[in-house]
Amino acid sequence: MRNLVFVSVALWVLSSAALAQDNPLTVVDVKSANAKPTPRTADGHPDLSGYWKGTRDTVPGGNIGKDLPGLKLPLTPAGEAALQHNLTATIDPESLCIIGGIPRHNASGLPFEILQGAKKVAFLYWYTYFRLIPIDATRKHSDDPDPSFFGEEIGHWEGDTLVIDSIGFKDEKVWIDENANPHSDALHVVERWTRPDADHIHVETLIEDPKFYTKPFKYSRTWVLGKPDEELQEYACSENNVDKDHLGFGPGPIRPDGTRGYLDPAPLLPPIQKSPVK
Amino acid sequence: MKVRIMIIIAILLAGSVPLLGHHSFAAEFDASKSLRLTGALTKIEWTNPHTYFYIDVKEEDGTVVKWGCEAGSPGALTRRGFKRGDIKLGDTIVVDGYRAKDGSRLIDARRVTLPDGRIVSGASAGDGGPGNQ
Repeated sequence: MRNLVFVSVALWVLSSAALAQDNPLTVVDVKSANAKPTPRTADGHPDLSGYWKGTRDTVPGGNIGKDLPGLKLPLTPAGEAALQHNLTATIDPESLCIIGGIPRHNASGLPFEILQGAKKVAFLYWYTYFRLIPIDATRKHSDDPDPSFFGEEIGHWEGDTLVIDSIGFKDEKVWIDENANPHSDALHVVERWTRPDADHIHVETLIEDPKFYTKPFKYSRTWVLGKPDEELQEYACSENNVDKDHLGFGPGPIRPDGTRGYLDPAPLLPPIQKSPVK
Repeated sequence: MKVRIMIIIAILLAGSVPLLGHHSFAAEFDASKSLRLTGALTKIEWTNPHTYFYIDVKEEDGTVVKWGCEAGSPGALTRRGFKRGDIKLGDTIVVDGYRAKDGSRLIDARRVTLPDGRIVSGASAGDGGPGNQ
């Protein structure tokens, strides 16, 4: 009898999970002992170009504190106040069709595409957003860059690593991640991108923001190459954003595991008839 | 025992989906307010960032109430085998989901039963909502 109850509960959980599982936007990262070598451009640098998909073991998703002990961000008092403001008085800017920016896009579960040239690299995102980064070791940051969501970004190569250094960020209508954590206009982001083999791309991100965080911290992430026929599709965020009139402030409850959502949702009624679950 | 281990593994795999959505489920919908709506389609918006189905639901007293049902993006539904041509105005669909926190007649269509009997997930991909954590 206990087994019967267990199997029934398991099947119920599986069926509800399966309803939302048919999602090829993320993949299970199957490591191969015979990895294909890193492709290279004509000038010898690793070619980061490709359609990149997040892995299922990137948890908790959308949380910039993913790699920190206890998921605990080192907030200053001003940072804590900014977080409380975001949680209680702001709607997720991305859901209002405002660019998520960096580093938020690096913490997103959505795939993205890179097109790399000799002197520029383009990152293309869902919502039809992009960032275009010059690769130029001689270029310096401006004295007073106009604030933007992706910041003023400059790339250069350090061996096989593409380093992107960014300053000049906005300090309003921005969440640093999907959990409504804040960043200020003092944000400085250093991304170190590598392609260890043909099927993987990796970033080590250093995040500094002395206004809102007591010390720099890191966020690391690996993506897997999509299939040859996969590519970004149009996703017009502002086409029919009915949501904007119904969204509450903040991301809603955050679970102890650092993800967003409720711990004990009310169950749906059972399906009304037997049919294949798609 | 083997079956039990396989089921546990399957549950663990099923539960480990990173979040993707346009917005968090919990920012818009109340997970304590599940409901089932059955009604005739009066309007179909096959649009980004979400699709919307508007249906007329007949109450027990005979009055007809209009509801909006929010589902995933066209791309998400298409990947699940739910195509624009599967529904037309006047068709009756069954929607199981959760009501908006602001009390409006809008629900998150977690599960949609199509006119041909197929059951598809209407969830926005990886929004952290029920069954998609």
